[in-house]
Amino acid sequence: MDAITGLMNGFSVALQPQNLFWAFVGTFMGTAIGVLPGIGPALTIALLLPVTVYIEPTAAFIMFAGILYGAMYGGSTTSILLNTPGESGAMMTALEGNKMARQGRGAAALCTAAIGSFVAGTIGTLGITFLAPPIAELAFIFKPQDYFALMLLAFLSVSVVMGTSKVRGFIALFLGLSLGVVGIDKQTGLQRLTFGVPDLMDGVEMTVVLVSLFAIGETLYVASRFGFQKPNLNPLAGGIWMTKEDWKRSWKPWLRGTLFGFPIGALPAGGAEIPTFLSYTVERSLTKHPEEFGHGAIEGVAGPEAANNAAAAGILVPLLTLGLPTSATAAILLAAFQNYGLQPGPLLFINSADLVWGLIASLYVGNLMLLVLNLPLAGLWVRLLFIPRPYLYAGILIFSLVGIWGVSNSWVDLAMMAGVGVLGYTMRVYDFPIAPVLIGLILGPMAEVQMRRALAVGQGDPMVFVSTPLSAVLVAVSALILIVPALLQWRRTRKIDMPDETAGV
Amino acid sequence: MTERPYWLAAGTVGWGAIVFWKAAELPQFDQYAHVGPGFMPSAVGLGLVVLGLLLALQIYRGVPFEEQGAEDVGEDHKVNYMALGLAAAASALPMLTMKPLGFVITCTGCFVLVAAAFKSRRWHLDLVLGLGFSLLCWWLFRRLGVQLGGLLPMMGV
Repeated sequence: MDAITGLMNGFSVALQPQNLFWAFVGTFMGTAIGVLPGIGPALTIALLLPVTVYIEPTAAFIMFAGILYGAMYGGSTTSILLNTPGESGAMMTALEGNKMARQGRGAAALCTAAIGSFVAGTIGTLGITFLAPPIAELAFIFKPQDYFALMLLAFLSVSVVMGTSKVRGFIALFLGLSLGVVGIDKQTGLQRLTFGVPDLMDGVEMTVVLVSLFAIGETLYVASRFGFQKPNLNPLAGGIWMTKEDWKRSWKPWLRGTLFGFPIGALPAGGAEIPTFLSYTVERSLTKHPEEFGHGAIEGVAGPEAANNAAAAGILVPLLTLGLPTSATAAILLAAFQNYGLQPGPLLFINSADLVWGLIASLYVGNLMLLVLNLPLAGLWVRLLFIPRPYLYAGILIFSLVGIWGVSNSWVDLAMMAGVGVLGYTMRVYDFPIAPVLIGLILGPMAEVQMRRALAVGQGDPMVFVSTPLSAVLVAVSALILIVPALLQWRRTRKIDMPDETAGV
Repeated sequence: MTERPYWLAAGTVGWGAIVFWKAAELPQFDQYAHVGPGFMPSAVGLGLVVLGLLLALQIYRGVPFEEQGAEDVGEDHKVNYMALGLAAAASALPMLTMKPLGFVITCTGCFVLVAAAFKSRRWHLDLVLGLGFSLLCWWLFRRLGVQLGGLLPMMGV
C-alpha cells in the first residue's frame, strides 16, 4: 500500500467520532501535563497503560500520540508566560519568550510558538507519512545481526549523549539491562535472577520501573528540596495576533527548526533538547536583529518551538518502522504496543495497517486540535500552575498507585515502587540520566534475542556481528561513539595536566 | 552531600556481583544457540562491576556531582530531611497497608503524608481531600476495568 492510499484509509479511521474523541482527550491531557511540573508525557502514558487494556489499540495509540504532541505545546505556554519550562525541550523558548512576555508581547510569542509547532508538527507528520513505509520495507531485509547492531548503537548513543558523565550513563543503562534479564528465559524456560520470587517470573514490569523512577523519585527529590515561588504571571497585553513583521520574521525559523528537529528526533538518543538548542544558536547567528536576542527576539521562540515539535514527530519514525525506542516516551509507547501483543516494525504496516495509518492521520488531526486548544486558551492553561503543590504531588502519587497496583495487584510491585523510587531519588541527587535505564530495560531482552539468533545462524562465530555491510557500519559507528569522546577527553586532560607536571618538576 | 560518595560505586559493584553470581549458576552456552541463558546476565553483571570500579576511580579523582535541576526545587538545593522522610514513608506505606486495608485507605494515608512533606499544615482538610480523591479514583478506575481490589479487603467488602 503506498503512502497516499494508506493515509486516506487512515483518515477514515481517525475521523470516526470515537477516535476524534480519544484524540481530543489525548491532546487535552497532553497540554495539561505539559503545563504541570512533576509529570510528563512518558509518565502519563505509563499511568494510562492499565486502562488501555479495555480500549481498542487504535483508540489508545491515537490518545497517546495526542499526549506526546500536546505536552510540547503545553511546555511552551508556561515557558513564555511564567519562565518555567514544563518540558526539557522548552528551555530555549523560555529564554526569549519570557522576555517578550515581559515587554507585553506575550500574545505574539504564544502565537508564533503555537503556529510554529503546528507547522513543524504537520511537516514532521508528512515526513512520517512518506518516510516510514520505505524504512519499514527496508527493515524486511534486516538480518538479526543488523538489528543487534542497531540496538547496540541505540544503547551506546543513549548512554553517551544523555547526562553529563559517560560512566554514569552506562551505569544507568546496565541497571536497566540487569532488570531486563529478570524472569523466565524464553528460549530455555530457565528462571533468571528471580531469587525464587514467583511474581518475578514474568519479568520486571516496565510500567512499575518507569512510574517509580519518574513519579516517586521526583516526589522524593522535590519534597526534600522544596522551594516554591508563586508564579508571576505576565499580563497578556499588546494585541492577540502577530503583526505582519512578526510573520515575516517567524516563517523561516519555523522551517529551519523543523529541519533540525525531525531528523535529530529520529536518531537514537536525539531527543528534543539538542535540536532546540541548535535551532536557537542558528537563529541567533542568522538574525537581522542581533540586538534583540536575549531581550525577546521572536526568532528565538519560533525556531526552537518548531524544532521540539518536529523532534516529537521524529521519534515516531524509528519506533513504528524498526521497533526502536529513542527516548523514555518512545520506550513506554513500545511497552504499550507489546501490551497489545503488537510488535512495531515492518509487519505492523501490513498486519495492522488500520492502526498505523489511523495513528498517523490522527497526528494531523491532533495538531489542528492543539492549535485551537492552545491559542485562545493559553491564559486558562496557565491557571493550572496555581494548584497547591501538596495536592499536586499527593495526587501524582495516588495516580502512580493506580498504575502500579492496577498492573497485577502484586506486593512485589509495591516493594519495587519504594526501592526503585529511592533509586530515582539517588539518580537525581548524583546526576545519573534516567532514560538509559528504561531503554536498557525494554531493549535489552530484544537485543539478547537478536544476538542469540545471529549467533545460531552464524554457528557461534562472533564475526557474524559484522558479516553484513549494514551491521559492520553500525558496529563501527558504535565504536566511534565510544572511542572518539574518550580520545578527545584524554587529549584535553593531558593538555591541562602537562603544565602541572612541569610545575611540579 | 558527601564529597566522595564511594557508596555509589560500592552499590553498583555489589549489584553487579549479585547479578553475576546468580547468572553464573545458569548454563552460559548450549548446543543450539551457542549462547545460553546465563551469558547475557553474566555480561551485564560483569559490566556493572567494571563500571562501579570506574566510578570509584572517578570519585577518587574528585569528579563533581551536581544535582539535577527540577521545577519547584529551591535555588540553594537545601535538603529538608523531615520532608524527605515523610515522602519516603508515603512511598513505603503501600507495602504495609495495601493488602490488609485496601486501596482507598492506603491512598488516603499516602496523600496526607505527601501533603505533609510539602509543608501542608491543614491535617483535617488533607485527610478529607485525600479520602475523597482516593474514593473517586478507586470508583472511576474500577468502572474503567482496572483491578484495584475491594474497598475494605479486611472486612471482605
